Amino acid sequence: MIALVKTNYRNEALFEETLAGHPDFPRLIALKIDVQRRGVHYSERAQKAVDPEIHQLRSPYIFGSRDGEIKALPESLLLRDGTTILTDPTPPDQDPYIVDHVDGRFVLIDRGEILEAVELWPKPAYYGKTTRSGLPMSHIVTARPQRLNVFQSSFCYFWAEDKGCRFCDIVTHTKQQRQELGVPNRLTPEDVRETVAEAIKEAGRFTSLCLTAGSVIKGARLFDREVDFYVELLQAIGENFRTKKFPSQLIASAFDEDQLARLYEETGLTSYTSDLEVFGEEQFNWICPGKAKWVGYKEWRERLIRAVGIFGRGHVGTGLVGGVELAKPHGFRTENDALESTLSEAEALAERGVTTVYIVWVPRPGSALSGQKAPSLDYYIRLATGLQNLRVKYGLRVDFDDYRRCGNHPDSDLARLQ
Amino acid sequence: MSIPLSAETIELLGDPDTLKVLTTVDTNGSPHAVVKKSLHTADDGTIHFLEIFEASVSHRNLTASIWFDRKVSILLFGKEGRQTQIKGRPVKCHISGPVFLDHYARVRERLGDVDLAGVWVVEPEEVIDESFAVRKAQYRAEHPDFIHLDRIAKPLEEVGV
Repeated sequence: MIALVKTNYRNEALFEETLAGHPDFPRLIALKIDVQRRGVHYSERAQKAVDPEIHQLRSPYIFGSRDGEIKALPESLLLRDGTTILTDPTPPDQDPYIVDHVDGRFVLIDRGEILEAVELWPKPAYYGKTTRSGLPMSHIVTARPQRLNVFQSSFCYFWAEDKGCRFCDIVTHTKQQRQELGVPNRLTPEDVRETVAEAIKEAGRFTSLCLTAGSVIKGARLFDREVDFYVELLQAIGENFRTKKFPSQLIASAFDEDQLARLYEETGLTSYTSDLEVFGEEQFNWICPGKAKWVGYKEWRERLIRAVGIFGRGHVGTGLVGGVELAKPHGFRTENDALESTLSEAEALAERGVTTVYIVWVPRPGSALSGQKAPSLDYYIRLATGLQNLRVKYGLRVDFDDYRRCGNHPDSDLARLQ
Repeated sequence: MSIPLSAETIELLGDPDTLKVLTTVDTNGSPHAVVKKSLHTADDGTIHFLEIFEASVSHRNLTASIWFDRKVSILLFGKEGRQTQIKGRPVKCHISGPVFLDHYARVRERLGDVDLAGVWVVEPEEVIDESFAVRKAQYRAEHPDFIHLDRIAKPLEEVGV
């Protein structure tokens, strides 16, 4: 029997009680999920122990934080098994984990108990340098422990029609970053090429690149202009490598076969992801009205499957905002129903070579679903297990989006044992 | 519970002529043994070694060990026949940061164009002297009945058969 503990913010089972129901699930990955789910608050001691010379501080990102502020806090955390936790500062009244500094090390604390030692992300050598155009390189390409992120443009055209995805705060956050940090609206290929060249001088630091941004519906055909942007950027990035192909992931709109073939043939891109965000047409239409209007659920799904013919099995994926399928008022009423539906659709895609990963839904203040709560840790454990089991069942790899090359998907963390 | 390594064990670990074998177990209990020349003692008394291959069985098994709190075994076979087994738990895997970057540079200097998946850290919990003479004396003392009778039989001429 699981006891319920009343907190100011959530009524739910404690971490260890939930984990006891899943003895075959790694505790460290469960902790990662829960930290992502609840967020973190950095104690004053922790903030004082942060060294901007060696720790990576928060740099421009595609999404905002739970506290809606841009502050010079640590970017995020690493667990001792090499697992990355992407999480963000969260107001204390929302029941976050505490990051403290005790006996010379950073630790995660919950309810007064030290749960794990953590490391702050190390600052990459190129942070602090500027491009020849005069921009901070940390505004052009951002770092994870082993990955480079290129957020190509900071605008999503779905938002222009008030049809942005309901969980998303990309445009709200973009405006904030532009006003407070001077982050450019759109990156130039030369700035990106130069920054990537500088970043990979640090031997052993990076293993892959990820490009993503909002959808651009302009062009002769839908998304042609978005494809143009990515081709230009990928070609510029490719000038830094001896090989035509380089480990890379594009997370973009659902392109047609000609557009995908162009990306594959004209650039060094090795994998393609297009996020359905939520499975099921009814949910998709509600959560992603822009995607539904311009492409539609069935066509988006078919485009993913057709991408496997170009990029190959194990090189095409779709992302879910895990938990948004339970958002109110139109989401599933029970976690069991949500899980059954999601895994059923994930299996249909896995059979056809498309792998599914999830991120933990964070109801951000700049999004339409602000103020709601993500589902239980138990749900996320079952979702991660279910998605990874499908990869095993269908022999699908997720090398391009795993713990090292991404670090934001608890389900693909489990692929370390695959 | 982590224990300190003796000076002899540290010396054996540090000797480039020592054969060093790491044995791990997967989630189904299947064992896997590999020679790990990179095994060495770190300043804090833990044992460090490099995993070159991201997709290797060892790397996978070590991940399972750190996730599910399982031990690994390290066998050292010295040039003069000394054998020591260390049992311990993987407690950390450096995949970035200064320790990782330092080893990344050094392993590439040593082996050429290779990659590095991680620097694993094992806390020793048990050290067993597996040298033949030591084990023989120990087993004899602990289990005097474990012996074939012919080994303790008097010479035939003495018993007059």
